[in-house]
Amino acid sequence: MAQNTEKYNTNKRPTWCPGCGNFGIHMALKTALAELEIAPSETFIAFDIGCNGNGADTISTYGFKGLHGRAVALASGAKLANKKFTVIADQGDGACFHEGIDHLVNAIKSNYDITILIHNNENFALTTGQATVTTNQDKPMYGQPYGKPEKGFNINEFIMSLHPTFFAKGYSGDIKELKDLIKKGIKHHGCSVIEISQLCPSYNKEATPQWFNEHITKVSTLKDYSNKSYDKAMELSKKMTNDKIYTGVIYQQNNVESFYDNLKNRKNYKTELVDEVKEYNIKPLLKYFE
Amino acid sequence: MVSKISIKFGGASGQGINATGKIFTKVVSSLGLNTFSYREYPSLIKGGVASYQIDFSNTSINSSSRYTNILSVLSVESFHSYLKDVSKHGIAIFDGDSIELTEEEEKFVKKNDIKVIAFNSQKLAVDSGGTPIMANIVLLGFVWKIFGQDIKVLNKEVIDFFKKKNLDEKIEKACIKAGYDSPLYKKEYGSFLQFPKAKGKDKNKNLSMTGNDAIALGAIASGVRAFYGYPMTPATSIYNFLGSHASETGMLIKQAENEITAVQMCLGSMYMGTRALTATSGGGFDLMVETVSCAGISETPLVIVMAQRAGAGTGVPTWTGAGDILTTVNAGHGEFPKCVLAVSDLRSCFLLTCKAYELADKYQMPVIILTEKQIAEAIFSTRNFPTTPKVNRYLQKGKERYEITKNGISPRWLPNKSSKPYLHSTDEHLENGESTEDAESIVKMYKKRQKKMEMLERELPEPVYYGARNAKTVFVGCGSTKNVMLDCISQNKEIAYLHYEYIYPLKTKAFEALAHSGRRLVLVENNQTGQLGELITQKTGYRFKEKLLKYDGRPFFVEDILDFMED
Repeated sequence: MAQNTEKYNTNKRPTWCPGCGNFGIHMALKTALAELEIAPSETFIAFDIGCNGNGADTISTYGFKGLHGRAVALASGAKLANKKFTVIADQGDGACFHEGIDHLVNAIKSNYDITILIHNNENFALTTGQATVTTNQDKPMYGQPYGKPEKGFNINEFIMSLHPTFFAKGYSGDIKELKDLIKKGIKHHGCSVIEISQLCPSYNKEATPQWFNEHITKVSTLKDYSNKSYDKAMELSKKMTNDKIYTGVIYQQNNVESFYDNLKNRKNYKTELVDEVKEYNIKPLLKYFE
Repeated sequence: MVSKISIKFGGASGQGINATGKIFTKVVSSLGLNTFSYREYPSLIKGGVASYQIDFSNTSINSSSRYTNILSVLSVESFHSYLKDVSKHGIAIFDGDSIELTEEEEKFVKKNDIKVIAFNSQKLAVDSGGTPIMANIVLLGFVWKIFGQDIKVLNKEVIDFFKKKNLDEKIEKACIKAGYDSPLYKKEYGSFLQFPKAKGKDKNKNLSMTGNDAIALGAIASGVRAFYGYPMTPATSIYNFLGSHASETGMLIKQAENEITAVQMCLGSMYMGTRALTATSGGGFDLMVETVSCAGISETPLVIVMAQRAGAGTGVPTWTGAGDILTTVNAGHGEFPKCVLAVSDLRSCFLLTCKAYELADKYQMPVIILTEKQIAEAIFSTRNFPTTPKVNRYLQKGKERYEITKNGISPRWLPNKSSKPYLHSTDEHLENGESTEDAESIVKMYKKRQKKMEMLERELPEPVYYGARNAKTVFVGCGSTKNVMLDCISQNKEIAYLHYEYIYPLKTKAFEALAHSGRRLVLVENNQTGQLGELITQKTGYRFKEKLLKYDGRPFFVEDILDFMED
């Protein structure tokens, strides 16, 4: 179904490098919103600082280009205030696994009903190519011509260890698949984590579109794979490396209550927090101080 | 006639000192008297030395005396810690058969005519069928007898207090009676105590609450619908009150993973259009500071309660101070508008919290509410708690979110399906939120934001002057010092006080008029460097010749001010 994504555009032209994976990710995101018929004015996106955040003013939705590493925390506060909105946290691998890793852990644990997009280009690109946890260890990077001394870690296994209710992996060069994953993530009730392998022609030159095509396997092609099985998803995640990428919905658990669902004192409220701001009579509470 | 008594209950943490203090407060309040209670406690759960001091009077009272007429303690350690704080002709009661005084203590007791009474309250509690912890109740009975008050009043309040705990009323009464009718009582004990007589009956019920309770009530009143917190003394009890009453208020309560998350969640919620709150102390505030700057440039309303305690680093975490005034005034990198308010008593805790939200919404800026442990955890009494002010949101639709207007305030409408979407940005931006690096545009947007600061400064009131017009000495301060200053003014007409509620932007007209009058000005602050004074100097060029600064973790006591006047 071809959808018009015009309404999600602003007049600003993106400032990314030619061939940057962010073009594909934004196209997939806009198309996903269009196909789900979620209007720009029904969407809130919290952008991080980095190349991905540089696209904040090229998408016409409610948005906040905030602080580095904090998009997830900002997005969860926004969602709790007005659940009617589709809320997305958009960040890079630096923000997600360095500056703001605690927010990722706690958002998954709290199961806020938001969608987290991780633009993984395997480096801090906007500051011209420093190593992140996803950079290969011996790869020369800015300030580290002989590679980084730290070992990386398997982010897939890490995410799975947190028992997410939705974990998917996409690729910026496969816009159709990525769009479908984002749609599924948005529709999922709970915290959806979508990690996206992203082309970075400036600081991850080796990983060309052709290279990705050779190193990506779609989970839909795997025999006996079920994204309903935690054990299978974990087993697969443990196998993944920068050179061995699987895309698709890795794991999904439906019917798990979100943070808000678990708030006993909000059970009878039909309104959103944003509808409830007015002066309140505190007299009934004064009895506790007599 | 004004009369005032101070009593201190002491012991180890976990010995029921808090409950004793609370009951005593309720008992004297029920007689129509005003109370002010002050707690000292160590940063540990069991043991150490803790105290609960109640000053009560038949006139308004908002601070503590340094010296107590009666000291009643349950542990040897607390006896030695607090004996030096007993007033002349005072009474020191300890639990036990005998206690060994040091030579110095002997001298002190003799010189000040202090009666030291060995009172085996634990044994009496057990003999009355109670448990050792009920020694507190026995002591209350004994103290009540010394005050020459009616035992029925005490019985009623004790039973009322423990109603929920399913204690045996008969045993409670027996414990009180054991203390009240103790043969150790001598008539002379009460001879130097003038128990205050209430001035008529006030129809309004007496309310006892902490400053933090009043801030929490202010948040509820002004429509705060979400609280995001992370525990840190002395801010934590705001979270406790809001959380404990969330079933009545429907407020969303979240204990975040850290202070950065808490304040970012607030920001996200405020952007969407609800009102949210977070509260912390110095260290936690430091973590929130980047978000203060973020709220400033993105013009997102934000309110943070910053409850000060003593010291840098971890400092002296359960003690008081006001050393973070400049921390909040200077919070956040870059130049952007913000507002800092400082509360002092229940009324200001409540009303300034409401005001903070109004200002945050009106000016679309971060507002920081400064309080101190001495306000946050002190228990004030009032019979006239303020009512909820009207809530104003200052929302209006417009063409562009960051539209450049005459007064600098751009139209802000809440995100909703039928309105034009907009981007808030921490990048310098154009009127439509688009990032910019254009020199002219940068300056325009800087100027627009600064205009809000100018308008805010015009709107804010001048500091308030308390005391006689011709008082010779005028103290200048903010925060909890107001409470002690007002209590001093009622005792010494030579003293006046200029009180700052709005710290930033700072109003200086009233101050400059005072400075030109040639009267004696004294800066009074609960910190080492005189931070409010520095702000005043920065803006007026006036340098304080006299400063009364205290930074030992203790609040100003009435005696600190009166002694300063004598010197």
